[in-house]
Amino acid sequence: MNILVCVKQVPDMESKFKINAAGTWYDITDLAWRMNEYDEYAVEQAVRLKEQLGDADLTVISIGPAKVTETIKKALAMGCDRGVHIVDEAVAGREPYEIASAIAAFAAGKEFAVIFTGMQSQDRGSAQVGVLLGEMLSLPSVTTIVDFAYADGTAVVKRELEGGIKARIKVAVPALFTCQLGLNTVRYPTLPNIMKAKKKELLAVPMAELLSVEPRQETVKISFPEKKGSGLILEGDPAELADKLIRILKDKTGVLA
Amino acid sequence: MIFALSEEQRLIREMVRDFAEMEIAPSAALRDEEERFDRELMFDKLAELGLTGIVFPEEYGGAGADYLSYAIAVEELSRVCASTGVTLSAHLSLGANPIYLFGTEEQKQAFLKPLARGEKMGAFGLTEPAAGSDAGSTRTTAVRDGGDWLVNGTKIFITNGGEAEIYIILARTDKEARKHHGISAFIVEKGTPGFSFGKKEKKMGIRSSPTMELVFENCRIPATNLLGEEGEGFKIAMKTLDGGRIGIAAQALGIAQGALDTAVSYARERKQFDTPIASFQGIQFQLADMATQIEASRLLVYNASYRASAGLSYSQASAMAKLMASETAMKVTTQAVQILGGYGYTREFPVERMMRDAKITEIYEGTSEIQRLVIGASLTR
Repeated sequence: MNILVCVKQVPDMESKFKINAAGTWYDITDLAWRMNEYDEYAVEQAVRLKEQLGDADLTVISIGPAKVTETIKKALAMGCDRGVHIVDEAVAGREPYEIASAIAAFAAGKEFAVIFTGMQSQDRGSAQVGVLLGEMLSLPSVTTIVDFAYADGTAVVKRELEGGIKARIKVAVPALFTCQLGLNTVRYPTLPNIMKAKKKELLAVPMAELLSVEPRQETVKISFPEKKGSGLILEGDPAELADKLIRILKDKTGVLA
Repeated sequence: MIFALSEEQRLIREMVRDFAEMEIAPSAALRDEEERFDRELMFDKLAELGLTGIVFPEEYGGAGADYLSYAIAVEELSRVCASTGVTLSAHLSLGANPIYLFGTEEQKQAFLKPLARGEKMGAFGLTEPAAGSDAGSTRTTAVRDGGDWLVNGTKIFITNGGEAEIYIILARTDKEARKHHGISAFIVEKGTPGFSFGKKEKKMGIRSSPTMELVFENCRIPATNLLGEEGEGFKIAMKTLDGGRIGIAAQALGIAQGALDTAVSYARERKQFDTPIASFQGIQFQLADMATQIEASRLLVYNASYRASAGLSYSQASAMAKLMASETAMKVTTQAVQILGGYGYTREFPVERMMRDAKITEIYEGTSEIQRLVIGASLTR
């Protein structure tokens, strides 16, 4: 069975973000980068499926400038067999339709039976690449999975619905799954496997060879939320505090009529 | 000159940092409080990640990575828990490395392999009650008895003592020879009759790392456990400590970085006079000095690591790295306590532990005075 997992390199979310000069994205200088958290769940699940099947071939794919090979190597160190780097210096400005199209162009005809992606990226967060890719490859997509089991050509997965309800979905492969927090506990890539990752196949493909669509949407401006006024801090003994609070709730809100 | 880590080194840092923050950090304060070593957490898990044999070739159970990767691993562990950092450093640099450097092929197969794989833990016994910086004054003796050696004496302040299965110990084999020449190194296994453990030290810092006394009473060691040549012990010890200093320098670096990180985030949150104290120039200047000293230490530590991997001499470089990093750790942790004020002095925050942990890095594996002596001697010889 051929398995594909799609990963994105994103800034470490502890970074201090600044908006770039054009005002359309964050400034990418001086940021630390790592694998998108949801994609880590995707890689982990893909590696577990490969380990379960034994004879599967697992490809990891990522789009971006030279530095994304580090993220691909992490996936290789976690257990992927081969890496594909779609080389694209302009990835930060791409919209989901372009990204999905490029991956679909690569994946077409390669008979991937199972494709995993993260449910969304931690930076753009559109949650579109996975489902668009499924659509372009004419595959059923099951989104935000929190449990995955596979046997005899069928995957049984759980999805989290609103209000804590879980749905069990049965789907015949080939199919695409987008992975949500809670799906699994991600393994640490061991040091020997990090060393071995550099010996695994890593194919570089220029974005221009795969991209044949025009963008359909454009991010015009991004901005930080406006600072809200600081909260109100009440002081005094508990009885006094309760009285003050009730007065405020009565006067300024509709909570207590 | 390229000041950039390789992709592998960056991935190793990310992996060890994630592991350290997720698994090691949560129990660091409690283990310190209880003076408790947690072998499963602080050693077995490191073995699973391939950290116990980082620098050794794959054929001996290692990962085949370089000294810089090793330094990064010790740094990241020590950033959250200096006890875990020194457990790895003493195991790898002091317990396993002398066997890699001086052992026979049989010794490497029998002892280095299980050490590198982390199936067994290593330790090193040089210090004695009357032989610390003056290692030539070793009083533990090893006397030939038939085909074996009979060892008698006491070693003190042994990191990983009691927990480790394999010990490299130094003993005098020739009473007539000049001080440094009559000493030999031996591989001693835990459980060997005549080898027991004395008292466990109650320490100021690195309290989650066990420090014990080793006692040898007519301990019979087979001739095949002599490490290197007879009389070569002092040279083996000095060479081992050259490497060990990289580990301790990396430990000190990690402690200092941990203290700076805590101080910066505290200063940004803590308000006095209605302003975060981080906006006061008095605090910023302190943080600036701390960060600058840490960065200078890091360059020295990484340089010594680079030289060790490149096969260049690194005795002076590792002494400089250890001297600078350990004194920086002491200064920076003390400063971090000051920035956190009363909170820094309590065990609610990790900086008082870091300050206690930092002190030992100026003492063990060669005091700061010995490092200056090593550097001075290499400048003037």
